[in-house]
Amino acid sequence: MTTLSILVQVAALLTGGAYVLVVTDRLMSSTGGVRSALVYPVRRLSFLLLQPATTTERPDFEAWILGPALLMALAAVGAVAIPVAGPSAGGDIHAGLVLFGAAMLIVLVAVFIFGWGPNSVFPMIGGYRMAAMVLSVGIPFSLVVLTTAIPAESLSVGMIVEAQSSLWFVVVQPLGLPIYLVTAAAIAFWGPFDLPEGADLAGGVVAEASGLRLAMWRFARAALLVTLSLMGQAVFLGGYLGPILPGWAWTIVKTLVLLVLLALAGRTMARMRVQTFVWFGWVVLLPLALVDVFVSGWLAL
Amino acid sequence: MNPGPLSYFLVSAFGVGAVVSGWLVFRTDSMLRAAYWLMVSFVAVGAMLIVLDAQFLGLILILMMSGEMTIMAIFMILFMMNPAGLNPMTMVHQHRTSIIAGVGSFVVLAFVGVVAEFPDRPVPAGDATVALGEELLGRSMLVFESAGVALLAVMIGAIALAAKQGRFGDAYDGSQEPSIDVETEDRS
Repeated sequence: MTTLSILVQVAALLTGGAYVLVVTDRLMSSTGGVRSALVYPVRRLSFLLLQPATTTERPDFEAWILGPALLMALAAVGAVAIPVAGPSAGGDIHAGLVLFGAAMLIVLVAVFIFGWGPNSVFPMIGGYRMAAMVLSVGIPFSLVVLTTAIPAESLSVGMIVEAQSSLWFVVVQPLGLPIYLVTAAAIAFWGPFDLPEGADLAGGVVAEASGLRLAMWRFARAALLVTLSLMGQAVFLGGYLGPILPGWAWTIVKTLVLLVLLALAGRTMARMRVQTFVWFGWVVLLPLALVDVFVSGWLAL
Repeated sequence: MNPGPLSYFLVSAFGVGAVVSGWLVFRTDSMLRAAYWLMVSFVAVGAMLIVLDAQFLGLILILMMSGEMTIMAIFMILFMMNPAGLNPMTMVHQHRTSIIAGVGSFVVLAFVGVVAEFPDRPVPAGDATVALGEELLGRSMLVFESAGVALLAVMIGAIALAAKQGRFGDAYDGSQEPSIDVETEDRS
């Protein structure tokens, strides 16, 4: 597979997934009906692109620009590690799982500099909230993702998918997917964990953003959720494996299942205060993730 | 695998990038920028490792740096004169001592680099991650297992501090807002 076709594939997946996510979210939050929700992403994007961009007093301009660009790049880099159609098509990176983990943890840097950039208090507090959240769930997130490499005996995502030909890892490692979804939502500051963008902070990290900058940021965040869903289905739901349909169709179906699940959770579950979430990460999620590692290691012996 | 001209170019480019971004750490006037220039420097070193066919080592280095540099940035911002804003401040102080320390360590490291005989073992064919695993759990097992047990002890200690009924009381209580009926008790 050439580099260009991988790029096109990643761009198509992230754009399509982002569209589905925004439509689902809109269906949950408005009474406008299905038709209005289907055109909402386009309407909103055109509105933001026409909106004049505001600025603040003496912003850290480069950091403010770099935030959305970095977030988008990280979503794309994470998606590159995931095989979409079959064992040989793309995603043939030896340490693909580590590449994905590294990209997802640098999301913290993107959000932090985006909050720091405008030289304004609410965005900066949003950045600090993100730091507290991601530093609390970063270890459980990495642990449950890396645990899927134990039975597969490989850090390549393609090999991990192949190892699920008899039984998906969502069954073998029952703790894996629930912890993954909670931590993934926190890393994408989505749903019940959207406090870095909280309404109590007048929008948090996006409080001062408008126009093109806000459009890019929203798109990058949606693309990030698509990448997280892609990896979730690859390592827990058997990726492209499945009967009748071709591999890429299974990948898309399973990704959309996780994506819609995250969208529903985002609108239905109660928010958790950051202090409580930090407690939740260290006291509940981290020990559970360690149990997941020990049990999977024991079973793989 | 024989390195081609592209590998030489990439290693040199990332090497120069690492040095330049390391220099920029001290040329900027913002704590946040200083911390993240340092991160860029480490990411460039990680990229050099990836080009040198040590994918796993390079990526794990990059993975570790993201969290660490943010923690460092937060602590550095805490020590700023005005932690709330983007007020410029200088990153260099104690010029004479710094110059002596910098030149001294450069001379020592350059001497070691020129004089020392580095081992010339080519990377074994196949998966370099497997070779690394065999090294960690083979000849160097004692060293790495001691470090691993020490790190595990630190993790257990961190959990003990953060957990329910830790040294500083119940973590969950600390995460909740103070109860509102404190004042009524005072009145009675």
